[in-house]
Order: sequence, then structure tokens, then C-alpha cells
Amino acid sequence: MRLPPFQYLEPENITEALSMMDTYKDTVKIIAGGTEVINHMKHRLLSPAFVMNIAKLGDLGGISVLDHEIVLGASTTLKEIANSPVIKEKCKAIAEAAFQVASPTIAAMGTIGGNILQNTRCMTYNQSEIVLTGLDSCHKRGGTICLAVKGSTRCFSVYQGDMAPALIAFDAQCILRKSGATRTIPIIDLFTGNGVQPFSIGSDEILTGIIIPKQDGTSGSAYKKLRIRGSIDFPLVSAASVIWVGADGKITSSRMVIGAAGPAPRMVEEASLAIQGQLPGEIDLEALAGMAYGLTEGADNLAMPGAYRRKMARVLLKRAVQEALEDVKRGI
Amino acid sequence: MKKFDLIGKDMKRVDTASKATGEALFSGDLILPRMLVGKVLRSPYPHARIISIDTSKAEKLPGVKAVITAKDMSGDKWGVFKYTQDQQFLPTEKVRYVGEEVAAVAAVDEDTALEALSLIDVQYEPLPAVFTVDDALAPNAPLIHDVYPSNINIHVKIDVGDVEKGFSESFLVREDTFTAPEDSYFQGEPYAVAAQFDNAGNLEIWMPNAGPHLKAKPLSNVLKIPLNKVRVRKITIGGAFGGRSEIAPADVICAFLARKAKRPVKIIYTREENTVATRQAHAMVTTIKTGVDKEGHVVARDITCRMDGGAYSSTGPIAVSVPFLCMEQAYRMENIRYNGYRILTNKPIRGMFRTHGRAFACGVDTQLDMLGAELGIDPLTMRLRNARQTGDYTPTKSFVASCGMTETIIRTGEQSGWKEKFGKLPPFHGIGIGTNSVQTGFPMGIRGGSQAFIKLNEDGGITVITGIVDNGQGNDNMIVQIAAEELGISPDDVQLISADTEVTPSDPGSYSMCETFIGGNAVRLAAQDVKMKLFKIAAGEFGVGEDELTARDRKIFVTSNPEKSMNIAKAVRIALSRNESISGEGSYWPNVDAKREWVKNPYGQLSETFSFGTVIVEVKVDPETGQVEVIEAWAAQDVGYALNPKVIEGQFEGGFAMGGQGGMLSEFHQWHEGRVLNPTHLGYMVPLAIDMPKINNIIVETIDPNGPYGAKEAGMSVAMSAAQAYSGAISNAIGVYLKDFPLTPDIILKAIEGKGKREQ
Amino acid sequence: MKKIKGYSITLTVNNENYDLTAEPNRTLLEVLRDDLHLTGTKESCGEGACGSCTVLVDDQPVRSCLTLAVAVEGRHITTIEGLSQGGALHPVQDAFVAHHAIQCGFCSPGMILTAYALLKENPSPTEEEIRRAISGNVCRCTGYAKIVEAIKSLADQGRQER
Repeated sequence: MRLPPFQYLEPENITEALSMMDTYKDTVKIIAGGTEVINHMKHRLLSPAFVMNIAKLGDLGGISVLDHEIVLGASTTLKEIANSPVIKEKCKAIAEAAFQVASPTIAAMGTIGGNILQNTRCMTYNQSEIVLTGLDSCHKRGGTICLAVKGSTRCFSVYQGDMAPALIAFDAQCILRKSGATRTIPIIDLFTGNGVQPFSIGSDEILTGIIIPKQDGTSGSAYKKLRIRGSIDFPLVSAASVIWVGADGKITSSRMVIGAAGPAPRMVEEASLAIQGQLPGEIDLEALAGMAYGLTEGADNLAMPGAYRRKMARVLLKRAVQEALEDVKRGI
Repeated sequence: MKKFDLIGKDMKRVDTASKATGEALFSGDLILPRMLVGKVLRSPYPHARIISIDTSKAEKLPGVKAVITAKDMSGDKWGVFKYTQDQQFLPTEKVRYVGEEVAAVAAVDEDTALEALSLIDVQYEPLPAVFTVDDALAPNAPLIHDVYPSNINIHVKIDVGDVEKGFSESFLVREDTFTAPEDSYFQGEPYAVAAQFDNAGNLEIWMPNAGPHLKAKPLSNVLKIPLNKVRVRKITIGGAFGGRSEIAPADVICAFLARKAKRPVKIIYTREENTVATRQAHAMVTTIKTGVDKEGHVVARDITCRMDGGAYSSTGPIAVSVPFLCMEQAYRMENIRYNGYRILTNKPIRGMFRTHGRAFACGVDTQLDMLGAELGIDPLTMRLRNARQTGDYTPTKSFVASCGMTETIIRTGEQSGWKEKFGKLPPFHGIGIGTNSVQTGFPMGIRGGSQAFIKLNEDGGITVITGIVDNGQGNDNMIVQIAAEELGISPDDVQLISADTEVTPSDPGSYSMCETFIGGNAVRLAAQDVKMKLFKIAAGEFGVGEDELTARDRKIFVTSNPEKSMNIAKAVRIALSRNESISGEGSYWPNVDAKREWVKNPYGQLSETFSFGTVIVEVKVDPETGQVEVIEAWAAQDVGYALNPKVIEGQFEGGFAMGGQGGMLSEFHQWHEGRVLNPTHLGYMVPLAIDMPKINNIIVETIDPNGPYGAKEAGMSVAMSAAQAYSGAISNAIGVYLKDFPLTPDIILKAIEGKGKREQ
Repeated sequence: MKKIKGYSITLTVNNENYDLTAEPNRTLLEVLRDDLHLTGTKESCGEGACGSCTVLVDDQPVRSCLTLAVAVEGRHITTIEGLSQGGALHPVQDAFVAHHAIQCGFCSPGMILTAYALLKENPSPTEEEIRRAISGNVCRCTGYAKIVEAIKSLADQGRQER
């Protein structure tokens, strides 16, 4: 499969990269591992005039452990994250998510930044021309119909990233830089909830890093992914949970997130409220998991039917919370 | 049994070192001087009339060297059988599925070729289309071909004994319907063709194929050149699995482009093209009615199967028949009726596929489990009671010369601990069994036999010339192994020329599981032929009879007195100096009934022999997600005699992965208005290393009276029975029999939930 | 700052330097196969899912179908043709042949290089680690059993050597 023509940009430092973004804006796509953008370009889902490779920018890689936070450079590979002792110890769900991304080779190429900013997916969107030729364009291809949900006035594409749900569970922030300005926003706010344009990142901005705040108390976390095979597959639904317990053994705070639920990861806030102040043994897991069900969109546009995926959101959340609580009990 | 030096031993395959270094060339790897890139324009509509095709703009694009449409061809329709001639390689009137070939270009590079495609203006009049068998059979359904009323392409009807009487005499009768959507080959190598013509009009062409001769004849017909000008060359082939046997439009298109451009042309399919525009496997709905006596013996069976054939006939008559024939080979029964229908739809074309229909084989076996459960007989015993035996005739009158079915059942049962496990495992933990049988060859008209030549060189080395093709299963090695064994030489002394229509004689192809049996026999006979010539010379020199000699270690010696010996090379030199021919010829024609025909006369000897296999798997099912974990598997097959045991194990394991793990758990196509939504490895989920359980291989040998050294085919009966073992084990684990395949987690979970509700 | 269109690059492949002109939209796979005629690297899916196009970049397995040729200038690229030295098969290749881990052979170059990289990083992987490491490489013929056996035979050697 041929790639469409483009001009290649290879900035030598971040300042140069930001200035290129300022110049080319919407016409440039950033690659680091290339596993997502190159693929989309082959299918002609993207045909940018410029491709900017930020893989070699030294200042975007690596894991830094600071006093109050852990900072992941946007070009840190998923393999580095999965293997990092500090991530495994402090943020197990994030390491688990990274470990399960695609296949080992892809995880060694793919970066955390690229994984977060991966486009939403749909079986009637992620296709080369041979499949969809002759059909009207869907919302995501610039048209006015939805091929997955007949009659829908909006796009039902699904965000199938593994990393964002786990990062959101840890209340991670992302650093967005543009020439002369930097802003830090919660990762959850990066998502628009609109399948056509899933991200709120500016056309002149680069995601340069992720901040995982440290929190007091004992915590446990887990990431659960539904896939058909043991490798390669995107999550059909996923759940991440983080639970903090105070000295009295009661839950001080918790965050639960459902992935592949719709165009954005969904926080199960109701569940967090419900267990606040409870002892781990008191939690009604079934009731809690039930709250994931309603948050999951069940369109039939991935490898498994939507109705099944909704049910699995419930099961996965239950299991993620269960495992996080077990970690807490073990004092991890 | 006689001791062999090579046969029956683990032998490193002769072809794999060059595959390990990347040296082996596949069709897409060929680079020829001045070669052009060929690309195909495909139909965007599932069903449409072609109003006009304007290629003028494409032709004017710099770098474009040839553009072809149906106008460049004769318009003749091609088919595997006379009565299935319904496909033009480029259509003149209508397109019948999304992805059908409409026009093609050859250009200096891929970008230019792609741009040229975008410049071809095709005007279509879209027509109503049908995407399911039910829609295609509906009273006012649009006709896809005028010659097939009601869109019924093939009807195979078999009726043996008295089925109604059988049912009335049965102790228990059940009728169930089983369904499965399409599955796919996903050969490692996407389809690719390279072609060139010389000044004399000789075509050289390379493509993955299951038989070069099967490709050469239609190429000769459509190009209107004699067969001796069609040189289908040998090339490494990246898998076939039942596909790649027939001529493909890409073969013809590539040849026409090369002839028109007067330059070599290569077409490499994308993965999507390989899925959409080569072949797929049929979707099926199978209704099975079976009557059994109190002991579980099948008394009568009536099967109706409706297969979604896609837009053209392809190998339809064979595809409709084979699932039934495998079943009737595997199980004894007196009264049997079959109505197999192949229905056309506006979807990609379906052909023969390794595992021949989950909704058929698993349907038959699942129902046997259900009948057994009602009778209080476990699935393994049900199979033992109905198992085919040596010396039987199948209902459609094939004699079974060797059959190890019972032994495969007993040995898998023993090794898996069936008795200790079945019915005694904890909830959501199950064990299941599947049995099946396949042919070693079909009646294939004049292509039914194989011939081989062996040429001896003065240094004692040989060149074997045979039409046998290797798709990856190890046939090249099989040829070398047999020839070297017979002549008592080293595999290193054997040079192989195979699967090249310019020089190699006729052969059925690596299709219908016949290469070892038919081609292998021909090679063995050729080796024996030339060995006798060598023996004649040696016998004269030693003053003994020819039957007193042995060939081994590159020598011919007197068996009773090995001191009396001469090098084979010396015997060859003597022959040459005497002007005596020192080449061998062998020919093997299988004992099949030439009058047997798939539709008109489905009775008589189908295949000279059959293989039989059993698979048992043990699984755990997650009751909350419906996901299946396979704990261990046991696979047994009667292979006749294991020529190269490790190669056979590889066939078992590969067949098990495709038929069982993939075929029953994850592989199926999803659709949107006739479009395949999962044409690539991302969406179509073939199993991965991490998914596979431990497989225990059990090779059963029955020494077939006519197979080379007693061998028959090696692994297809495992591939065929693996899916049912999965299905049976999952049913056993969850306590519900499942009828819609493959058993994806959503289907399993629904069954678990349904059972829970019923129990409340 | 580089701004590249039709750019001269030097690729180091199997320890040899090649001076090439490559449009930026050419993948490493295309350049290896079409320009350098190193056709041992195969394309089976073209979208990074199957592993057939795996090559090593600085000893790390990489999907050459998703890698821009211009992006790997200056890195050490190893293809299947570069694994065997002096006409002898590399031990990984040898193990694949000896254990019947190769049938049609189309996935073999990518599979062998993935196995090579695994063993380099972890000379004595467990069966589970082997299965996981090659789980991004699709083989349609073998059911993986013999491939795992081949790699395990080398892992056992690695264990002995330690």
C-alpha cells in the first residue's frame, strides 16, 4: 500500500517543532512511532501536506520521577512504560495498559503521546477504498450519514486507546505546548466527545508530556481489557480503576474509567461518589459495575456487537475495582 | 515392515533453509527487466450494469503502457465445469460484487498505475442486489445470472436407502439447524502474478497456485495460444488452504497487460484485494435430521444445506459436495439423503476451503452429541459406535481400503483422560470430541493422474521432473525423500524440477489432498523404473539376478553379499557407453470411478483412499465474559504411514489452529451491504502464538494398501474435526448445545444467560 | 532543520551503506524491496498487524511497512539477508529449519528476526515469554507449535550457557 505524497519535516529541537506547527497548523501531522498515522495515511484517511517526525527530539522521551509527580515524555515508548519499575510500582494500571497495547513490536515502536492521540475507530471508517467505494461518506469522512447506526445524525466512532483510561484514572494531566505558550489540562479534557473531531488539541499544539500526580495514602489500581485474541487487538471495551485508602482503611478517593465506550473514555463518577468513605469490604461491586453499563455506547461498529460490549463494561469495571482493592489490601 | 533410510524418519525439509534466509522467491519478489506495475480497477457496486468504460484519459497519462477492459478479451465465459461457465475475466455487461475486476492498467510505477485507475471513467446503472441466501431465493429477487433461475447455482442431490423408513424405525429422531457466516483463507502471501511474453509469443507466468496445469489450460484458452506456449513457472508459494486452484482474473489480466504492453508486468494484491477478490469460504445454513437406534447407531439422516456462493460458480459443485462426503466417509449409515444448494448473492466469490464448513461438520457432530445425551451415551462412545471401518462402502459407493477411525478415537480418548473427565469436570470446564474424514483425491477428468520422470547423471545424481506443487506443506521434500529412498542415494543427490508447465508432466495439483498419494506414487514408480535399469546393468556385471540386488548408500550391491557392489555412478556410465536409456518414468492413475460426477452422478469410487481423524479439546469458559481458554488438545489422524513425522505434526498443528482455534472461536467475516468490513489482519482474527494451547499429536498408521509406503494425506482430518472438538467442549462446559458458529464470546455468553433464565 | 522532498539518504543495511534518493512517502519496506532488492522482507498486511515485514533497527524489531525510510537514516538496519554470516545459517535460522518451524515460509523472515531480537534481549525466555514476543507475527501454516519449539531450543541453550 502506497503512502500519499507529503513533505517530511524533522525538527532538531522542540522550539523548532513548535515553530513548524505554528507555520503549518492543520496541514501537518505529527508522527513518533508512526504506527497510527502511517496506517491512516495508507488507507487515505489522512493525506497531510506535511509530516513531522518528533521521534528524535531528545527532550520528549523518558520517565522522570519528581517529588510530587511522575512525568512521561510524549515520545516514551509503550514498552518503556510497561517495563518501568516505578510505573509498575506506583501506577500499576498504567503499566498494565501499556503492556497490553497491540503487540510487543508495536508497543516498542508506539509512543504514549501517539497512543493517547489515536483517532476514534469504526468498522465503517477504518477501511481502504476497496471496501467503502460506492457508498456515501459518513460523518467522519466529511459526509452527513452514519454507516454504523442507520439514521444517526452524529458519529458513533469509538475511542479505542488503552492508555488514556488508565491515565485518566490516575488523574493525569497532559502538557500541550505551542510557540510561546504551554498549558496543562486533565487528559479527560483533551476529549471533545465528538467522534468526528475527538480531540481539543489546537492545530498548532504539540502534546509534549504527561504528568501523573502523586497522591497520599495507600493505593491500588488495575486495567482490564476485552480483546478477542491475546495480542494485536484494540480494546473492545476496557476499564481502569484507582483506589486510595487512608490510614483508617477507608476509601479516601477513587477514579474509575471505561474505555472503548464511545468517542471518549468515560469516568464513572457516580461510582466514585458511592464508595467514598467506605471500607473496601463494604463495597457493593455489582451495583458499582452496573453504573458502567449505562455509560457505554453500544453501537455495532467493532468486532463484537454493541450489546455485548456494554455488558462487558460492567464485568470489566467490577474486575478492575476488585483487583485494585486486592492491591490495597496487600498494601501496594 | 521394511527398514527405510529416509522414509518414516524426521528429515529436514529441502526447501526451508532458503526460506529461512529470505532467498526463496515468491511471485511478488520477482524483478524482471523493464517490468511494469499492474493495477486493477474494481467495481464500487454490488450489482450494476456497465453502461460505458472510457479509458482515454488513463491511456494518455505519461508512464501508462497498457490499459485493458473486456474489449481486449474475447468475452468468453470460463468455469471449472462446462455447466458452470459463467465468469468473464473482465465483465462486459454487469458487475456482480463490490471488488469485481472492471479494467486494469500497467504503468512504470505504482503511483502512476493508481493515478491511471482514477482516470478511467466507468458509467454504471446500479441494480438491486441481494446479500443473503434468503433474499436471493425470495420470489422477486433480482437474478444475478440469467442462467440460474431463483439464483440457485448448484443443487447436489443424493439419496441412498430409504430415509423415511429409517426415521420411522428409529428410536429417537432430532432435527436441528446450524449456521455460520463466511470465513477466509488469509494465506501469508497476498496474491501476486508476474507475466511476460517473448517475441515468439510464449507466455511465462508466476503466481501462487495449487497446480500449474490447472492454471495453464484456461490461460491457453483465453489467450488463444497453444498449451506449449503457456509456461507457468515454479515459484515459492505462501499458502493455499484449498484456494488458488482455479484460474484467477488476476492471472489473465496480468498476461493480457504484458502482451499489450510488450513488457513484463507484475500485479501484487493488497491484503484487502486478497480477501475480497480471490476467494472466500461459504456461509452456510444446514438443517440436519438424524434418527438413531437405542444404542446410538445412526439409522437415517437427511441433510439440507444452503451455501452462500457469492457472485460466480467457482468450484461450486465440489464445495457443495465435500462437506457431505466427509461426513458420509466418517460415519456409517444406511439411509441418507442430501440436498445441497449453492445460492448466488452479490458478494465475493466462494471457493473450496480447508475446513469445509463449520455449520455442516459441527452441525452433524453437535447433533450426535445431543442424541447421545438423550440416550445417556457419551460423545466418544457415540463416535465409536458409528465409526467407519476398513472394508466398508460409503453410502455413495466408495470402498474404504484402510481406516483407522476407531483407533484415532480410542487413542485421543485414552491420552486425554476422557473417561475421567467427561461429565466429571467442574462447572464451566468442559471436554469435547470431533471426528471427520477427508478424501485423497477426487475424479478430476484427464487431470486425475500424475506422471514423473527421473534423469540420471553420470555422477550418480538425479533430476526428478514432476508436476507436483508445494504450497508450503512440504511436497517438494516428499518428492526428494521418495526418490532418494528408492534409489539409495542422499537427498543432496536429488535435483528437483517441479510445477513448471513447460517441462513437467501432468499432475492433479496440490488440491484435494492427493499429492502424496497420487504424485508420490508416480515419483516412486519412476524411481523404481530407473532402478530396474540400473539393476539390469549391475546384475549383468555381478552375474546375479536383478531381484538379488539392493540400492543403498549410492551403491548397488548383492543383497546377500554386500562386498559385491558398484557405485550407481558407474552403472550410469556403463549404460551411457552402451547407448542404453537411463531415465525412469512413472505414472499413477488413482482407482476412482471416472463416471462419477458431482451433480449428475454422485455415486461410485470418489477417491482411492480416505484419511480419518479425531480431535479432543479441554476448555474453560469464563461465565461472565463468555471467553474461552483452551487448556489442552489431542489430535489424531490415520495418515496411512508417516513419511516424515515432524512434517505431519506440523500439518496437524496448523490445521488445528485454523480449523479449531480460529475457525471455532474468532474467524468470521462481517458485512455492510455486500462489503467485507474486516478484510485485513486487524479485523479478521486469525489465532496468534499466545492464543494456542498445547497440542498433543497422535499419528495413527494403517498402511494403506495402495499409498506410497502405505501413506495417505496428512492432516486434513484434524483440520476438519478440530472445530467440532471446540464446539463440543464449550457445549459441555456451559451445558448448552450451540448451533450458530463460530462460538464468539457474545454467543457463548448469551447461551449461558439463556440457560440461567430457563433454570430460574 | 531538515525539510525534505525527494531526499538523498544513506541507509545502513546489513552493515553496508547505500546512498539512495527516497521520496519521504516511501516506507522502509518499499526501499528495501524495490531499491535494494532485499526481497526477503515480506509484505502481508501493510498495516503493521501481521509482522511479516519485521526488520531490526538497532537490533529492535520494527514494522518496516509503518516506518518511513527517511526516518531511519543513520540507524543500523538488519534484514533477514543479513542474519546468516559466511554462508552458514544463523543459529536462529538453523533452529527454525531443524524444528520444522517453517512451512510456506512467508512469515519466516519476520518471525526469525523477532525471535532473534527476543533472544538478544533475553537469552533464556520462558515459553510464555516466547509466545508473547512472537504474538505480533501471524503464521497461518504452523499453528506456532514448532516455532515455539525452535525458539525454546535456543532458550534452553541460553539457560545452559548462563
